[in-house]
Amino acid sequence: MLKRTGWLNELKAVLFTLPAMIPITVFWLAPLAYVFYLSFVEWDFMSPDKLFVGLDNYVYLLQNPAFYQSLKVTLLFCLGSVLPIMAGGLGLALLLGRSLKGSALYRTLVFAPWVTPTVAVSIVWSWILEPKVGLGNTILGAIGLPAIGWLQDPKWALVGVLLVGIWKSVGWAMIFYIVALRSVPTDMLEAAGLDGAGAIQKFMHVTLPLISPTTFFLFVVQTIDALQAYDSINVLTQGGPSGSTRTLLYLYYQSAFESFQVGEASSISIVMIVICVLLSVLSFTVSRKMVHYN
Amino acid sequence: MKAVYQAGLALRHISLLAIALAMAFPFYWMMTSALKTNDEIWQFPPTLWPELPLWSNYVEAWLAAPFGQYIANSVIVAGSIVLLQIINSAMMAYALTHMRFRLKGFLTSIIMLGYMIPSTAVYLPSYMILSKFYLLDSYAGLIISNAVSVFSIFLIRQAFLQVSHEMVEAGQIDGASHSRILWTIMVPLTRASFVVLALITFISQYNNYFWPMLITKNPDLQLVSAGLRSFFVEGGAYGLKWPLIMAASSFTIIPLLLLFLFAQRTIMQSVNLSSGIKG
Repeated sequence: MLKRTGWLNELKAVLFTLPAMIPITVFWLAPLAYVFYLSFVEWDFMSPDKLFVGLDNYVYLLQNPAFYQSLKVTLLFCLGSVLPIMAGGLGLALLLGRSLKGSALYRTLVFAPWVTPTVAVSIVWSWILEPKVGLGNTILGAIGLPAIGWLQDPKWALVGVLLVGIWKSVGWAMIFYIVALRSVPTDMLEAAGLDGAGAIQKFMHVTLPLISPTTFFLFVVQTIDALQAYDSINVLTQGGPSGSTRTLLYLYYQSAFESFQVGEASSISIVMIVICVLLSVLSFTVSRKMVHYN
Repeated sequence: MKAVYQAGLALRHISLLAIALAMAFPFYWMMTSALKTNDEIWQFPPTLWPELPLWSNYVEAWLAAPFGQYIANSVIVAGSIVLLQIINSAMMAYALTHMRFRLKGFLTSIIMLGYMIPSTAVYLPSYMILSKFYLLDSYAGLIISNAVSVFSIFLIRQAFLQVSHEMVEAGQIDGASHSRILWTIMVPLTRASFVVLALITFISQYNNYFWPMLITKNPDLQLVSAGLRSFFVEGGAYGLKWPLIMAASSFTIIPLLLLFLFAQRTIMQSVNLSSGIKG
């Protein structure tokens, strides 16, 4: 009798997990195994047979200069979006402080871009960054600087794309920092003040260490976001000019859906998966340490 | 001392106001550029407010492509995904937190793993699987392939962990089934988390572009971002009809800004709540 109810309970529980587990298996676990397999074949979506080529796709990838260029662009893209977003978010949160009248209005305006569709705002930004009459170059001209080919010049295109991402996410980081700063105990700051610490010392030695878990969380989440940035690149530059905005993800997209190199694309996606897993493992170990620290 | 404090306060307000206005300025620029004539929009230096606002540009842009259809597509798809995710996240989270079964540890680690791997990395094989099921170019394909979110499961799991297991036991003693306990006790108790799930999922699915663009080629099924992007590049619109493009961007963006103004407290709080998941 007991055995039978145990079996029944097991079945009931499994039934509860099925509505989530079936789609996870079909659209996530199976594709994961499949992409691993595909990284060892050569195929173009059309021909009836997939040709098993062993490690050839990986060897080819490691010999491909476009791969190294995209790794470099990806690194620059990640640093160029993550660092300004975090610094800007922290700066804004510090400016807003604990209780400033009217801060709700500022918060709303700064956060608003986060909810808007990336494609639509990228289109708006492509007009702002238009080289001849765009707002960007008008402002540069007004302060006496030469015009820039924001999205046309390989030297500047990445900056142009980054601007949109930073504008969109800085308010998001700000919200996290506002909460983190609120949790810094005022008596600790006062004690540091009594010990003769100035504003900058208080910030460096009390505030910054106490909000480091938030900083770390934002760093990981924003990096993973940046690794997956597609919409803004697709609208603004399509990876160009001359590959200057082609990230790893964009290279993967182009080889999969533009040149139909299934095997090559799959080997790039394995590289992306490895990077993300490493980042997550890092975040897991570090956040465990931080729990101890708190 | 007081004067210094006052001056500092004024300085903070001035810089914050300047930053906030700069952040909002692209929206203003979009809406006013939409009112300009083609001649005026190419004028240098640009005008801050159109000499003669052409409100008809909005009507012309709305009629130039099936934007009503695109918005409806986005709302239908995002709405269905929200409903499905509420159901499967609630059931999954309930099993993981308040039921005892052998596979629990295994399923939890699968979900954890799912949190690490970027969905974009498996778009290619997912595309091929959808095509095997003949689900490309269909609402069903769009909805089913986004039916589960590991993020949503985590969010609800976190909320259910806060509910004492005694509530479940009390329900069982009264003879209530698991589904009754889930939908009449657990969900109402944690409704705040479900509101968060609904808002975040709706916004991100409504704005979704990459995956829907890959799996739908039929223009009638395009979501609003893909529809706007086609309008941007198609039919010589590129570079020639900037006022119309700005008008079209406006009615893509404005509904979300309105939703945000309406629910801003919840949305900003929800961002924070979601941070608890990773920690």
